[in-house]
Amino acid sequence: MGQYFTDIYLAVSSALQGMAITFKHIYKKPVTLQFPDERQVMPERFRGFVHNDTAKCDACNICAKLCPVDCIYIETEGKAKDRYMTRYAIDYNKCIWCSLCTENCHTGSITMSHDYDHAVFDRRTLVYEFMDPREAKVPCHRATRIEQNWWVEPKEDKPGGDKGDDE
Amino acid sequence: MANEPTMVNGRGWGDQDHVPGIKSELLELNMGPQHPATHGVLRLLLHTDGEIVYKVTPVLGYLHRCAEKIAEGVNYKQWVVYTDRFDYLAPMCCNHAYVTAVEKLMGQAVPERAEHIRVATSELSRIASHLIALATFGLDMGAWTPLLYCFREREEILNLLERISGGRMLYNYMIPGGVRYDVPNDNWVADVLDFVDLMEHNKLPEYNTLLSYNKIFIERTADVGIIDAKTALDYGCTGPVLRGSGVDFDCRRDDPYSVYHKFDWQVQIGHGEKGTVGDCWDRYIVRAREIEQSCRIIRQALQTLPDGPYQALALKAIVKVPAGAAYTRVESSKGELGHYIISDGGQTAFRNKVRSPSFCNLQVVEKVGVGQMVSDLVALVGSLDIVLGEIDR
Amino acid sequence: MQLLYDFFTGQAGMDLAGAHIAVASLMAVLMFTVMALCAIIFTWMERKVAGFMQSRYGPMYTGRWHGWAQAVADMLKILGKEDIIPGEADKGMFQFAPILVLLGSLLAWAAIPWAPDFVAADFDLGLFYIFAVSSLVVIGILMAGWSSNNKWALYGAARGAAQMVSYEIPLALAAIPVVMRTGSLNPQDIIIAQQGGIWNWNINPIMNPFLFIAFFMYFIASIAETNRGPFDMPETESELVAGYHTEYTGMRFAFFFLSEYANLFLVSMIATMLFLGGWWAPFPGMAWIPPALNFIIKGVLLVFLNMWVRWTLPRVRVDQLMFLCWKVMIPLSLLCVVGAGLWMMAWGQLK
Repeated sequence: MGQYFTDIYLAVSSALQGMAITFKHIYKKPVTLQFPDERQVMPERFRGFVHNDTAKCDACNICAKLCPVDCIYIETEGKAKDRYMTRYAIDYNKCIWCSLCTENCHTGSITMSHDYDHAVFDRRTLVYEFMDPREAKVPCHRATRIEQNWWVEPKEDKPGGDKGDDE
Repeated sequence: MANEPTMVNGRGWGDQDHVPGIKSELLELNMGPQHPATHGVLRLLLHTDGEIVYKVTPVLGYLHRCAEKIAEGVNYKQWVVYTDRFDYLAPMCCNHAYVTAVEKLMGQAVPERAEHIRVATSELSRIASHLIALATFGLDMGAWTPLLYCFREREEILNLLERISGGRMLYNYMIPGGVRYDVPNDNWVADVLDFVDLMEHNKLPEYNTLLSYNKIFIERTADVGIIDAKTALDYGCTGPVLRGSGVDFDCRRDDPYSVYHKFDWQVQIGHGEKGTVGDCWDRYIVRAREIEQSCRIIRQALQTLPDGPYQALALKAIVKVPAGAAYTRVESSKGELGHYIISDGGQTAFRNKVRSPSFCNLQVVEKVGVGQMVSDLVALVGSLDIVLGEIDR
Repeated sequence: MQLLYDFFTGQAGMDLAGAHIAVASLMAVLMFTVMALCAIIFTWMERKVAGFMQSRYGPMYTGRWHGWAQAVADMLKILGKEDIIPGEADKGMFQFAPILVLLGSLLAWAAIPWAPDFVAADFDLGLFYIFAVSSLVVIGILMAGWSSNNKWALYGAARGAAQMVSYEIPLALAAIPVVMRTGSLNPQDIIIAQQGGIWNWNINPIMNPFLFIAFFMYFIASIAETNRGPFDMPETESELVAGYHTEYTGMRFAFFFLSEYANLFLVSMIATMLFLGGWWAPFPGMAWIPPALNFIIKGVLLVFLNMWVRWTLPRVRVDQLMFLCWKVMIPLSLLCVVGAGLWMMAWGQLK
C-alpha cells in the first residue's frame, strides 16, 4: 500500500519536474535557423559542391581514378602534345563529397566549394558540365599549354600539390 | 530454433484454440520495413496473440549495399569513405576501426598527436551517437521533447566535427597513418572543451530530469526486455547492451587501442537500479553515463594534446599494404566493431570482413522479445540502439 | 438566445415551432463553424507550443506572422487530397466511421454554455447528455479500425475502445461531486452556482478539497478520453504507425483530425464549466469582460495545459493505462465522491 502511494507521488512529482523544464524552454530563444532567410556560415573546410576550373585542368585523370564512386567523367582526344580535354563532367547524383579528388589534384583546379544547395526538379540536371562550350577543347600537355597561353602550374609547386594542410 | 514451439504463459503454437468452440490463430504482423519504431528498414515478423508477442523474426537486408564486396574493388584510402556509411551516427568510430586495421597490416606507427585527435573525435562521435540513442529511445516511448533537445546538442557536435573534418555527418577524416587535417586554428579545442563542460554539467542533468527519472519512463523500461548476462554473452552482444547486462567489458579498457590507456575514466555497467539487471532502463542509463565518461576522455585528450605531426605518411593517393591479414577491434558507440582485412599485397584488399556490433546485438530480439507486449518489443528494439546501415552493410 | 427567438417570431413572422427549427439549424451551422475554426487554431497553437518547448519556432512562413496561416493551408491541402479506400476495406463502415467520430463531438458541443444567455441547447440533463453523446466516438474509432482491414488499425481500435470505455468512468465520477454541490445537471445551473469570483469556484481547495482533487482526476481522464499523449494509445505513432486512422486520407482523415481538436476543446470547456466557474470572471472587478470571452480563455488555458503535458511526458503502456484507470483513478474518484459528500454534509453545503 505504501508502495502504491509512493508510486503515485513519484509519478506526479517527476511529471511536474519535467513540465518545469519544458516550460522554461518556452522563454528561451529557439536554436534553429529560419533556413532560406538565415543561413549557417560554413566552416572553412566544409565540403560542398565540387568545382573544377577547367582552364587549369590538364585532364591527368587522377581525380576520376581516385573517386570511390566514379562520378567524374573526363573525355579527351588526341595524344601527347595534341591531347585535348573535350569533356569534364561531375555527376552529383553519385558524388559523396569525400574530397579525395581535391586533395590529390596536382594543379589545384578541382576544389570543394561551400555551396550545398542541390535540390533540383530533374536529376539529369545534376550532371554538371564544366567545360565552357565555346572553349570546346583544353590542351593537356604542358608544352601545348604554354604555347597557347593557358595557365600552367609553377614548377616548384609540383611535388606537393594541394595537401590540404592546416590553413 | 525457428520451428520450435514457443511457450508463453503456458500457451504455445500447439494449442491456439484456447477459447473452447472458437477457432483462433496467431496474428502474423509485419513490423517494418516501413515502421517508425524499427529505426530504419528493419523488418520484424511478429506472431502475436493480442498484445502478446509469441515469436519475433528479424528480417534483414533491406539496406544491403555490398560494402564488403566493394572493398575488394577500391583501394584502402577510398574505402574509408565507405566505413562512414556503416554506422552513420558515429562515423568517426568506424573510420577509427578501419584505419587501425590497415595500420596493423602495414606495421605503421601513428603520431601521438594524431592519436589524441582520433580519440577526441571518436568520443565526440560517440556522444553524438548516444544522444541519438537516448533521443530515439525516448521517442519510442512517446516522449517527443527529449528528442529535440538531444538533437540540439548533437547539432553542436556536428558543427564541431564539421570544423575539423569538413563533413557534417560523413567525415572521411581518418586515414591510414594519421588524420586528414590538423586541428583547426579557430579556437576549436577551446570550443570542444566548453561544449563538453556544458554537456556534462548542464544538459545531461536536464535529460535525466526530463526523461531518465520520469516515473512513466521508468515504468515503461524497467523490468522490460531483460537480457541477462549469459544471454548477452551467448548472442555476442557488445557495447552498452552487454554492459547494461552487468558484464564489465569495454574494448577501450580491456583491449586498449590508440591512447585510451593514458586517460582516467570508468567503464559503466548496469546495476538494475530501477528493476532487474539488463532491462531496457539499464541499457539506457549506461549510455547516458557513458556520455559523461566520454566527456572526461575528451577533456583529457585535448588538454594533453601533444605537438608534432598529425600524419605519419606523406599523403599519397595509394596506400601500399603488404600481404597478410589483420583483425582489429575498437569500441564503437554500438559495441565492438571489428575489421578483418586480408591483403594479397595489391592495391585493394583481398577480403574485408566487418564485425558489426548492431548485427549481433539485434539477434537477441529473437529470444528476449518472446512473451513481451508489442509496446515492450518497441522498447527492446529501441534500447538495443541498432543502426541498419551497420547491420546490412 | 432570446434575441434570436424574438427575431424569428417577430420580424421574420414565424410561429414558435418554426423559430425552434430556424434557431436549431442556425446553431448547428454556427457550432460546426466554431468547431472547424477551433481545430484550425489549435493545430497552429499545438505546433507553436511544441515548437517553443523544443527550442524551435514551429511554422514561421505561411501567412508571415508566426505562420498563422499554416493550419489553414494544411486544411486546404488535405481537402485537395485523393480519397483512398483500401481495396479490402469494409466500404460502408470505412466511410461512415469518420462521420460518427465527428458527430460524437459535434453533438456534445450543443450543450456547451458559452454565456449566460447563449447555449445552443439548454436542457436540464445537459451534463449527462454531453457524457452520453461523446461516447459515440468510441464506436466510430472501433468501426474505423475494423473496417480498414489493417492490423495496425485494428490494434489501435482495440486499444482505443478499451481505453475510452474505461476512462469514461473516472471522467463521469469526477463530475459527480460538482453535481452534488450544485444539485443540478444543467450546465447553466452548475456555472451559476459558482458565482462570486475565484474563491467560489469548485476548484477552490479551501471550499472543498475533494473537488480540487476531482478537478485533476477529471483533467487526467479527459486527456485519456481525447486520446492525447501520454495516453494516446489508439494512435501511438511509434508503435502502431498511426493507429486506427492508418488507412485514412484526405477529407476522412481531416474528420478524425477535426474531432481530436474539437474533443480537446470540448473536454477543456467542460472542465471550465465544472470546476473553473464557467463564464464568470475570476475577480468581481473584472465583470466588464464578456462572459463568452472568460469561458473561451479558460478553455484555451486548459488546452495549453493539455498540450504542455503531451509534449513533456512519455507514453504509458496499454496495461499500465488500464492499471491507472481501474486501480488508481476509479478508487480515487470514488473516494472523491464520498469525501466531497461528507465534506458538504459537514459544512452544510449539500443541496
